[in-house]
Amino acid sequence: MTSNLLAIAASGATAAEIALDITGQNIANASTDGYVRRSANNVEVASASSWSTANDVSLSGVTVSGIVRNADSFLQSEARRTGSDTAQATATVSGLTDVESAVENSGVFTAIGAFQNSLTSLAQNPTDSSARATVIQDGSTMASSFQIAAQSLSSTRTGLQGEVTNGVSQINTLTTQLAAINTQLSATAGASSNASDVTTSDRASLMDQRDSLLDQISQYANIATTTQTDGSVNVNLGGVSGPPLVTGTTTNTLSATTNSDGTESLTVGNAAVTLGGGSIAGNQAALTKLNQTSTNLDSLASSIATTVNTQQANGADLAGATGAALFSGTTAATISMATTSGSAIATAAGGSAAKSADTTNLTALTSALGTLDPAGTMNTILTDISGSVQSATTTQTTLQTLSSAAASSLSSQAGVDLNTEAVNLVKYQQAFQASGKVMQTANDIFTSILNLTST
Amino acid sequence: MTTISSTSTSSFYTTAAEQLASLQQQVGTVDNSISSGNQFTAASDNPEAAAQMRMMQLQDATASVDTASANKATANLQLADASMTQMVNDINQAKTLTTQAATGTLSDAQRAAIGTQLSQIQNDLLSLANARDANGNALFGGGVTGNAYTTDANGNVTYGGAATSQTLAIGGGQSVQTSLTGPEVLDMTDAGGNSTNVIDTIGSIATALKAGGSAAQTAAQNGLTSLSNGLDAVTTAQTVIGSRESWITLNTQNLTAQNTVRATEESQVGDTDVSTAAIKLQQLTTALQASQACFVKLSSLSLFNDIGN
Repeated sequence: MTSNLLAIAASGATAAEIALDITGQNIANASTDGYVRRSANNVEVASASSWSTANDVSLSGVTVSGIVRNADSFLQSEARRTGSDTAQATATVSGLTDVESAVENSGVFTAIGAFQNSLTSLAQNPTDSSARATVIQDGSTMASSFQIAAQSLSSTRTGLQGEVTNGVSQINTLTTQLAAINTQLSATAGASSNASDVTTSDRASLMDQRDSLLDQISQYANIATTTQTDGSVNVNLGGVSGPPLVTGTTTNTLSATTNSDGTESLTVGNAAVTLGGGSIAGNQAALTKLNQTSTNLDSLASSIATTVNTQQANGADLAGATGAALFSGTTAATISMATTSGSAIATAAGGSAAKSADTTNLTALTSALGTLDPAGTMNTILTDISGSVQSATTTQTTLQTLSSAAASSLSSQAGVDLNTEAVNLVKYQQAFQASGKVMQTANDIFTSILNLTST
Repeated sequence: MTTISSTSTSSFYTTAAEQLASLQQQVGTVDNSISSGNQFTAASDNPEAAAQMRMMQLQDATASVDTASANKATANLQLADASMTQMVNDINQAKTLTTQAATGTLSDAQRAAIGTQLSQIQNDLLSLANARDANGNALFGGGVTGNAYTTDANGNVTYGGAATSQTLAIGGGQSVQTSLTGPEVLDMTDAGGNSTNVIDTIGSIATALKAGGSAAQTAAQNGLTSLSNGLDAVTTAQTVIGSRESWITLNTQNLTAQNTVRATEESQVGDTDVSTAAIKLQQLTTALQASQACFVKLSSLSLFNDIGN
């Protein structure tokens, strides 16, 4: 049956050609993000014998049944999960670092120290106008540095809220695209075998896009995915028990609400979402810390103003009048000097005459501030933030290592290795050449049979 | 069949890039700490050390204020000391003159002349009692503006200053009174057991001597006892001032010692240990160079170089 041999050779040549095409495709996409290495699934064609003869030989060559997309769903979800955690840690570190520099660069700590020291210095010469002017100057520097810290924190807060809003709108865009991909995957499901990895090249490309979208969404928020038999995927936000974001071809919109304290809450429909990963979770964590820091600064600013003003009221200023409040405002953002006149500082005991060199009230004021210890409180606030940054950085380093390892194992399983492809290129080229040789052999056999009959 | 690398090509490049970047960053950190001299660039590098550094720097600033306060207190105490030495001299001179006046051989005119000299001394003492401190306020008046003592119509002096002298914090939780009040220096008990002050005592002796008669000699004899009491009062007060001065010196020495300890600690906590850092830099650069060489070598190994020719 030489015609059969020719057909077998032709099928081999076709299969080798397809395999060469796939190898070429793999090499071309070696650096493409989200591309999963393909290979041809070759199946032997053995047609059933028409006669039920025992030991019948009826061979029909090979056929390419489809394309194998070499993706391991466990490795994929592992890479996605660790990537999501890393994105959260990175966003936390970056947000907290902003908070840290906002408070630290404002110079509140140094300004508090300078204000206390200038009050102490004033005791050396309580009626001296330049010493009094220094106190007023240092007081207003302290108030300004509180304001600078509050403003920097406020703009950091705006930035972080913007990142959350942006992340939410990105997720909504990506889920819309995912729903479209789901539609196409469902539509093309028909002929291909759902259970196996073998599929068409179109569907393989759709699946690449699907996985790439899932990776992108998980950078913003942690998700749980359920792959359906038709290849489409359902997504739950914030974990398996979270509200559904994508179900088949329908999507639910994620929305962010700014709370009164400046933190952000997320809802899908009416269901509240608590994220455990992704950059939005990191932004939320940074916002919570920022809010706490801001509250601490406010209470510190308020306590300094109250302590100074209360003590002022107990004493007499340079004109012999009862001391008026030196500071106005009760938050870091609003605290300011109520006066620019150095003579308003009530250094003398209440009821003293004008220009009194008595320092009773000044001593009481410095000792009240000493008891309040605003520099110590500020130091605690700063240490708290920098400690948070440090521990977040440590967490981030650990998670980065984990996600690099997961990405690396996924990549070695699903990515393209050029050396392997080089071997495949040689292998399939040889297979193609061998099939050609088989055709030549079939031809030779046919020719010799023709020669037989002619003689 | 063997494959050169078990991983995918893109992950080989990604991993190599990550490793090189990590080494590069570490080199940068060490380099920065050497060139800046600071072990840490941000507080979050070591929150504990940063908190310590902040408090120590605050203490440095406080210490400089305390030193200035101690200097101010010392200046005022020295002024008081000098004034009181002058007072002691004046009282001694008054005693000498009064001793002369107490002898019976002098005439009324001679006693009146001594009385005039004593009046001069009285004025001198008054001006000493009204001396100014370093801020230009009453040295023996608790820092009030103007004079500590004023003279009334009868020629007697009245103290108009504050009840206590000024107190200045000089660091380490210590504070010191920078002077004494007039009454603390000049108040005394005269020969008759009455409470008075040195200035009035000399004034009354002077008045009695100028008046003449037998009463003048008696007044001079009694006045000697009174002046001895006055001298006691002033010298006792001067001892107090002296002991305050040495107390400040002691406290300042203590503060200086603390400053030195703090400076050492600041250096230990915050400064770069240059030799350790230099060795680490050497180690890191060696690793970086080796990694770069490895990367070049490995990335040049491709089957495509060997097939198809």
